[in-house]
Parts: sequence; C-alpha cells; structure tokens
Amino acid sequence: MKRREFILLIGGGLAWPAIARAQGGAKLHRIFWVSTQSEPDPFLDGFREGMRALGYVEGKTVTFETHYAPGNPQALRKIVSELQRGDMDLVVSSGPATRVMTAVTDIPVLFALSGDPVALGVVKSLAHPGTNFTGSTFLSLELAGKRVELLKDIYPKLRKLAVFSNTDHPGEPLEWRATLESCRNLGIEAAYVPFCGAREIESGLMAAGKMDADALLVFPDVVTLVQREKIAEFAIAHRLPSMFGWSEYCDAGGLLSYGANQRTTYFRLATYADRILRGENPSDLPVMRPEKFELAVNLKTARLLGIDLDVSSILFRASKVIS
Amino acid sequence: MMDGPAQSSSCAMPPRRSLFCKYFATLFVAAVVPLILGAAVEASFGYRDQRRQISAVLQADARAASDRIEAFTDGIRDQLGWMVQLPWSAGDDAQHKIDALRLLQQVPAIVSVSLLDETGTERVFVSRLLLNRIGRGIDMSADAAVLGARANKVWYGPVQYQRDSEPYMRIAVAGSLPAAGVAIAEVNLKLIWDVIAAIRIGETGYAIVVDDSGHLIAHPDISLVLRGRASSGSFGRIKHLVGAVSGAAVITGDQGNPVVALSVQTADVGWTVVAMQPASEAFASIRAALWRSSILIALGVLIALALAYWRAHRMSGPIKQLEEGVDRIRTGQFEHRIKIFSGDELQHLALRFNEMASELAISQQKSARIERLKQFLPSQVAELVEHSHELLEGQRREVAVIFGDLRGFTAFSTRNEPDVIMAVMREYYEAVGAVTTRHEATLIGFDGDGVMLLVNAPVACEQPATQAVLLAIDLQMTVQSLAGKWCDAGHAIGFGVGVAMGPATVGTVGYNGRLDYTAMGAVVNLASRLCNLANDAQILADPTIAGRVRDSVPLASLGQRTIKGYDQALEVFAVAPADPTLKPQGSGQRRREKEPQDH
Repeated sequence: MKRREFILLIGGGLAWPAIARAQGGAKLHRIFWVSTQSEPDPFLDGFREGMRALGYVEGKTVTFETHYAPGNPQALRKIVSELQRGDMDLVVSSGPATRVMTAVTDIPVLFALSGDPVALGVVKSLAHPGTNFTGSTFLSLELAGKRVELLKDIYPKLRKLAVFSNTDHPGEPLEWRATLESCRNLGIEAAYVPFCGAREIESGLMAAGKMDADALLVFPDVVTLVQREKIAEFAIAHRLPSMFGWSEYCDAGGLLSYGANQRTTYFRLATYADRILRGENPSDLPVMRPEKFELAVNLKTARLLGIDLDVSSILFRASKVIS
Repeated sequence: MMDGPAQSSSCAMPPRRSLFCKYFATLFVAAVVPLILGAAVEASFGYRDQRRQISAVLQADARAASDRIEAFTDGIRDQLGWMVQLPWSAGDDAQHKIDALRLLQQVPAIVSVSLLDETGTERVFVSRLLLNRIGRGIDMSADAAVLGARANKVWYGPVQYQRDSEPYMRIAVAGSLPAAGVAIAEVNLKLIWDVIAAIRIGETGYAIVVDDSGHLIAHPDISLVLRGRASSGSFGRIKHLVGAVSGAAVITGDQGNPVVALSVQTADVGWTVVAMQPASEAFASIRAALWRSSILIALGVLIALALAYWRAHRMSGPIKQLEEGVDRIRTGQFEHRIKIFSGDELQHLALRFNEMASELAISQQKSARIERLKQFLPSQVAELVEHSHELLEGQRREVAVIFGDLRGFTAFSTRNEPDVIMAVMREYYEAVGAVTTRHEATLIGFDGDGVMLLVNAPVACEQPATQAVLLAIDLQMTVQSLAGKWCDAGHAIGFGVGVAMGPATVGTVGYNGRLDYTAMGAVVNLASRLCNLANDAQILADPTIAGRVRDSVPLASLGQRTIKGYDQALEVFAVAPADPTLKPQGSGQRRREKEPQDH
C-alpha cells in the first residue's frame, strides 16, 4: 500500500489509469534502453525503480536490453538496425540518443530530454505528440537563466562565471545561449568551458580551473551527474560557488542546484511505459513537463568555501537544505 | 411433457391437457406473478433509493472537491492579499521582492507573481522560470487583470493552455487602498490534480473539473488535461448534459461507458466540478437484486411447472380410471370396481361410482327377473311382484288353485306327427296364457297338457274364490272352443278343470337364479284330484269354493266322492255351465284315459 501511495505522490496523475486497472498480466515485456552516455546510468536506475513501483518484476514481467554508445552515432545506427528484429515492446531513449531514434517508426519510443522535443522534431506538439514518440522534458533550457540568477543571489559579488558544458548533449548550444543571455542581463561575464563526453571531463575541469572565474555553473547532464562528486570537490578546492541542475549534485557537495526532480521525472516516465505496454498509443500521450522545481542548498559546502555568501537570500526559498 | 400421450389418444387427452393448462395458469398466477410483481416493485424502489443515495454521495463528493478547489483559489487570493496591504513607497521594492519570493515558496502552484503600484506599473516580478525583475517596469494598467481587480478587488482570469498543453490561469488582487496597487499571480492549474486525484467515489468513481466553456482543468488522468483544448469537446458535452439536470444524470462518460454524474459549481472561479461513478458500479446492488429476483422467478416457474404436472397427473390418473370404469359399465361389466385412495373428492366420486355400479347390477338382475316373471305372470303383476319383495317370500295364505288338463291328449300325441302336436300345444298355451292374463291370475306352469294357475298369490285379490271360478269358466270355454276346432281337424281332445281353495305355502323355489314361484299344500293336491275327476268340459270345485261362490255362480253338488289321498269322502261341486252349448260329451272316456297319469 505504501508503494501505491508513493506512486500517487511521485508518479502523479499519469499513473492513474494504471491503478484504475488491475495489475497487468504475466507477459514478459522487453524494453530497449538506448543511451549515448556510458554506464553507470542513474537514469536507468530511476526508471527501473519506477517500473518496480508499478509492480513490474525484472526478468519476470519486464526485461531491459541496454545499449550504450558514448559519442558514437555510427554505433547508434547499428542499434537501430537491431531493433528491426521486432521483438521489442518499447524503446526508452535518454538524452541525445533520441535524435537517432527518429529512424524508429514502428516501436513506441519514450524519451527523457533536457530540451524541447518539438524543436527536436520527434513530436508534433506537446499536447499531441502524433508520432510513436512521447516522454518527458526537464525544461532545462527554461531554467538555464534562472540558475545564473540564483547563483548571483547567493553570491552577489559574482562577476565571472565559468560555464561547464558537455557539448555532446542535445540542446547544449541553446542552453548555452540562454545562459549567456541571462549573464548579460545580470552583468556577469560568462566563460564557456566546453568538453565532449566523459573522456574530456578531467581536461575540461582543468580548463575551468584556469578561467579565474568567481563561480561555476554546470549544465545538468548524465556525464556531469556521474562525475558530480569530482566536480563538487573541484569547485570547493577552487573556492567556486557552484550551481547545478539537480539536487543529486548538492548531495554530492555542490553548493546549489535548481531543477525538476529527476527521480520524479523517471518515475513518471515509468508510468508512461506502463500505459504503452498496456496498449495505449504514445501519440495520444502528451509530453510531460515538470511543474515543481527544487532549489537545493548545501550549507556544509557553503562553510567549506569560506567566502562571503548571502545564504539568507536563498535559505527561505530552498526546498532542500543540506547541512 | 404431456404432448406424447396427448397425440396417441386424441379423445382421452384433450381434457387432461386443458386441466394441465388450467393448473399451470393458476399456479403461475399464484406463484410467479407475485414474484414478478415483488421483484419489479423492489427493483423500482431500490433503483429510486439507490439513485437518491448515489446523488447524495456524488453531491457530497462534488461539493467536497469544489470546496477544496475554492480553498485552493482562496488560498492564493488571500496570499496575494498580503502582498497589497501597504501602499508603495520609495525604496521598498527589495522588501516586496522578498515577500513575493516567499509567496512562491509558500504556494507551489504559483509560477510567477507581478506586483504593480497604483499606476498599474510593474514594480516587482518574480518567477520560477524567468529572471526576476525589480524596479519600474512595463505599464500594465490596461491589462484585464488590473482592470478586473480594481473593479472587484479580486479577478480570476480565464484558463489558458501554455503551449496548448498545460492549464494556467491568472489571479489578480487589488489592495483595499488604491495606493497598495495590484498583485497578479500566474497559477499552474496542474496542481489542482492533487485535489481531484484524492477523490474516489466508490471503487472507480472520480471527479473532474471543467471551466465555463467546457475545457478540462483537472482530471485524475492528468494526461487528458495536458491534451489542452483538444479534449474540451467531450468534457464540454459532459458538463452540458450534467448541468441540464438538477440531480444525478446517467450519461456517457469520458471513457465511453455509462456513468452517473452530478455537477456542482465553484463559487468564485465559475468552474464546474463533475463527480461521476460508472453506472455498472453505482447500480451493482440493484443488478444483484434483479439477478436474485430473476433466479427466484425462474425457480417459481419451475416449481409451478412441477406442481402443475404433478397435480394434473394426480387428477388425470383417477379420471382415466373413471373413464375406463364408465366404458366397462357400458359393456355390462357391473362387477367392475374403481380403486382410488386419494383421500379427496375423487375418492368420494369413485365410491359413488362403485355404488352406482352395484346398484346398476341389482337393477339389471331385477329387470332380468321381471322378464322371467313375465313368463308366468301378467306383466303388471310381474312388476308388482318384483318391486314388493315380500310377496315372493315364503308365506302361508289362503289361495285358490286351478288345474286344467286336456283329455285324450296321450292318444292324440301317439297318433300324430310332432309338428301337429306342437301346433296344437302352441294354440293351447296361448289360449291359457291369454285367459290367465285376462283374469290377473298367476300361471305357475305347464306340465305337458296340464296347467296350474293360482289366484290370490302372490297378488291378493278381493274375492279369490269367485275370481277363480270365473277364470275356470273362461278357461273351459276358451279351450272348449279350441277343442271344437281340433275335433273338426279330427283330433278328439277334451278339457277338464278342477278348482280348490284353502291354505297353502307360497313362495319362490329354485336354484342359482332359476327361481320358480309355486304353492305347496293339500289344496294343490285337491285341485289336481278334482281336475282328474272332472269330465271333459266339466269344472269341479271343492266345498270351500262352493261355499264362497254359492250366491253368484250356480253350482250343482255331485255328492260325496272319495278322493285319493283323503281319508273321508268329500262333497264335490260342478260348476253349472252358463253356456248351454257346452256338452259333457264323451267325458267319461277321456277321464278314464287320464287316470293312469295321476300316480
């Protein structure tokens, strides 16, 4: 019963029809998980957790076939051709893999995107995807400017901001542009520190360290999420107030984060997966957007940084405080 | 089940079949009609009660949802009210911004807040997504929100779908002092979902919220809301249909199934909350009751059928027995008896039938006896004798006995052919029978050429002696006229008669239905002796007769005669012939001839 309540709480209204119906039959559903990132994959873990909460048992009623192709579009094409086997019930694509999945037209595809799926061309509109694609967007783009503002709120002396960005992430240029515009509005100099994939993260951080910035902004992305502790440590070591996209970064030592609850998003994605496996058409399932954003602040990090921060300006609106 | 035998014997079965129909109709009316009526009444009352109860439940749930939605919007309105308590003064924009940020923190549904001064110019704007703004900004004095809030203190904007998907609305509140300005909040209505999803009506019932133009604002399945205006068609229809009736209405729900729905208006925002429950679930108890009733009715029909069949069978068996009984009686089997032990009227009827059969048998025996009696009694006498039983009982009474005997018959019969004898005998018997009938005497029997008649038994008469004498005269005359005819044919046959009167035992004697009525006693012997004594054409009477008829019939005493079997001689009288044509011709010869037969 607790699990049910949890789904209601986290999964929102999307789980409603699933609960209204009896729990599904014992058929084994095959889910194809595609990502251009590398393992370990926290998104897959979140999704798995959501499926478990909906009563699916891995190996019994659901199996995951995971395919990772870090930064290799050629490899992804091969994955798409593998899908022609036709024994897959659902494809779940995370991040830039979604773009390659447009070649798939006969299997439902669930996506989790930071950017705009309409701009990406995988759905016709948010309300009516009209294709075999549907899923969830994190609204990272919309929040990009807000993160700069919050960083300036807690650290009013902010003049130069290092923007640490994985160029291998879809919508990354748009996110950078939104950030740049926001910085301009707030009178901040933005220092773009791009890197490409997990391999370049070390060199990227070294480059960021040489920027002589006052603070660090890290775009939310699987690579940085996986490397969040390293990045947080780097920020503390360089006495940089840091801003991230998800609260998981703050747990790992980041100073601030602002964004949708990633766990909730994947839970919701699991409810859509459930509905599609039960026979609903993805073209009728509207793309989900988060309506609640978490502002997390790590006071321990704030103390460790040892610089003058206006914590009080953030504290009263924080939804999560780590001390 | 009755068809097979019905076809096999068409004349016997139709009544039984109609009996079956009658029984079935009666039992059907008695058992099934009350059941059906009861079920129908129960169903209609149950439906009404259930409908009323569902209405009450839906009303309560819709009202609760509406209250919570009002609490949601009222909460936002009140919070905005705090924002516009104090008039704007220079330099407190920062404080206002903090207030607005606090508001965002407190009310998750608010996406952004704009605070305007009394001129309608934006002074503070805070948002969850966009950059905050502070200081003199855009002029919004012509905005509908500002105008509405200024006019009514509170203004609720129309529902709008951001990117045609997420429902949003603006709420504006003006301060009580115009200088306090206006606060405008943009609200993400997706968060009303929490209110709606918490409502469960029965097992699968739920509530939805639509705005005035039928656009869906909240539904437990939020993906329907996210479809934006596209889904408003079906929900607008539901709102219209439910709004048209005062109580609960049965309509086609948004999932295409029939639902019981009821709507309630929210006060300020003008939205409609529709609470609905699938009709199948709402009326489950009624359906169950109807099922129970149907089963009872089916059971009733079966019982009625079985009872009707059994009853009809119980009836038809005895009826068939009775039918058979009637048939056998018709063919004269009066000994046939019907055995029915049903303990009811049928058994009674069978008893009566058996009684009837035995009475018929008795009556049949009676008429057979009458037929036999008629052989030797006048028919009226025979009837009388038959119907007054005691007459035939053995009894002692005074009777007149008449014996007649042909003279010269032995010689005649030896000389002639049997057919001639038979012709003579037939004429003789017919004549004697006619005379007996005429005088209402009893013909005891013929014995060859002799005949014995009885008067005053078994039927009594007033003057038996006179009647006997008159009969004897008539008999003598009749036979003499025949004898004349026979003489002409060359047969010398005469006739003598003896009459005696005295006490004798009369009654029926016989064996196994062959009964004869006869008389025993000295008087019979006397009459027989007198007959033997009589000459042709002579009638001899004993002294008793003579004593009785002396006044009416002339008698001539023949003096004392010795009678065989009698110790002393008896005076014998001859009836004086009234007809002078009767001559005692050759009588002596015929008497002698007769004598040897007397022993």
